[in-house]
Amino acid sequence: MSDESDHIPPEPPGRPPGPRSPAPMGFFILTLVLLFLAAVYFDHHSGWFNAQVYHPFVNANELEKYQPKSGEAALLARGMATYERVCGVCHGNDGAGKPGQAPPLAGSEWVLENGVNRLTHIPLTGLSGAVDVKGQTWNLSMPAMGAALSDADLAAVLTYIRGSWGNKAGPVTPAQVKAARAAVAGQPPINGLQALKALPE
Amino acid sequence: MKNGFRIFLAALVALGFSWCAFVLAPVLQLGAEKQTTVLNSSDLYPVQRGDFAAQGLQVYRANGCAACHTAQVQQDGVGCDVVLTGMGTNQPADFKAFMKSLCELPDLQNCSDSLSKNLAAWNGALPKILLHGAREADAGKLADKLSAAGLKSEVRIVATGPDIARDWGLRHSVAEDFLWDDPVQLGSVRIGPDLANVGARFPDARWQLLHLYAPQVVVKGSTMPPFRYLFKMEKTRGEPAPDALKLPRELAPPSGYEVVPTDQARELAAYLLSLRAEVPLHDAPFTPPAPAPARPNKP
Ligand code: HEC
Ligand code: HEC
Repeated sequence: MSDESDHIPPEPPGRPPGPRSPAPMGFFILTLVLLFLAAVYFDHHSGWFNAQVYHPFVNANELEKYQPKSGEAALLARGMATYERVCGVCHGNDGAGKPGQAPPLAGSEWVLENGVNRLTHIPLTGLSGAVDVKGQTWNLSMPAMGAALSDADLAAVLTYIRGSWGNKAGPVTPAQVKAARAAVAGQPPINGLQALKALPE
Repeated sequence: MKNGFRIFLAALVALGFSWCAFVLAPVLQLGAEKQTTVLNSSDLYPVQRGDFAAQGLQVYRANGCAACHTAQVQQDGVGCDVVLTGMGTNQPADFKAFMKSLCELPDLQNCSDSLSKNLAAWNGALPKILLHGAREADAGKLADKLSAAGLKSEVRIVATGPDIARDWGLRHSVAEDFLWDDPVQLGSVRIGPDLANVGARFPDARWQLLHLYAPQVVVKGSTMPPFRYLFKMEKTRGEPAPDALKLPRELAPPSGYEVVPTDQARELAAYLLSLRAEVPLHDAPFTPPAPAPARPNKP
């Protein structure tokens, strides 16, 4: 702004103008470096602008540490909640079944089978006609109650019924449900004992 | 004007800089926000509202509810609870001795005080919270020690803070919660409670409608203004309408009449019921209370 000096009244005589030395360059550089470090420090403690990181978490690693475990316990809890919401009305929250309404799941050979293919098919397509469960014949019909559940939810339900009320069989994975869902697409309900037995175990 | 160009340049830089900070940066950060999945599940979140509830957002806005209500839960901290769920083959008496030995381990010295305090008054009932609000590392160490001894335990993630203590939610609100809101009704004044999770607190549409018509009837001493103009009085035709309000005597309409909600009130109630921020997400983790509450059917 050199031309501005034109408007400044002349210095009164007797006071010599002070020396005009340039500000030291090092000072500016130091300021910039400090500002940069401050910004880095700030970002480091606020998740690097990561949209997933909110207070009280300070970065993505910390957020990762506090994810609840997705282990078997979590799967069972979820399976129980879904079971009681979807299947419990007919099969009972205790899995004992209800006379004239639905056969038991506790101790049922279809639930405890080593292979889970048949078991996974039942809620996906439904089941009708005469079937034997624990030595008793049931001739009712179950709609495709599991078709609307996500793979993970149905896997959780099946894992839950295989591991509760005294049942002791291994878990069912979402991948198994997914494969079965692809296999049964568009198929009618399984009709009767023969059809159920005809499915691979 | 002499320095016109320079002034223009300076203004451009100043405005451009704030535009970058207040418009560009947030868009880069959150502009691509989309549905996520509920933690440990493949369910999508948030579910889009039906037309009816979506219209309710406009009623909410038009009536200035956000002047007294926020819809954002804040969280101050996060901690781990270690819950003992099963004894395996151990006896409670052995267990106490075992815990005593644990408390002396240098590994667990951070939490030995609260451990021994929690155990002092324990009568043997399960599940038992052994540690509350501990750091993740301490909780993990304790859980490992317990499982090595054949005990069953569970580490639960809990969000903490005044809002959560008031039962306004289970976790902080995140950007995804507002994905379908246009305009977003965050609110900034809390004359009434936070509504981010009000659909889970009061899942009954009839409660919501009655509260809108006469807040003082459902909440003694409520200072919320009644929104009676969202309702209309009608002649009862035969059977009372299914959603006619059940009002106390002093507010009841003359006999032969009933108070029914207008469409606006129904939309608003549907919107309020859709406000449920109760599932854990990757960016707002917590362990849902088990067994997860069955969702009441929405009207
Ligand atoms: C509407 C009532 C109803 C609901 C809900 C229902 N079921 Fe069934 N279920 C039945 C009936 C009835 C049968 C017997 C069908 C027959 O006789 O052919 C059956 C049979 C079964 C069987 C084979 C027989 C047995 O007892 O082992 C399995 C496994 C089963 N259901 C699992 C489920 C699962 C998992 C769900 C939840 C996703 C579910 N059911 C929901 C009514 C129901
Ligand atoms: C003048 C301020 C004010 C306005 C405007 C207002 N409220 Fe309220 N609201 C309150 C207060 C105070 C309470 C707490 C007392 C009560 O529950 O009635 C409350 C409570 C509530 C509750 C119960 C929440 C709970 O957890 O107890 C709901 C739901 C609610 N208001 C919805 C609304 C809606 C919808 C609107 C807009 C139509 C609205 N409020 C407008 C002040 C207000």
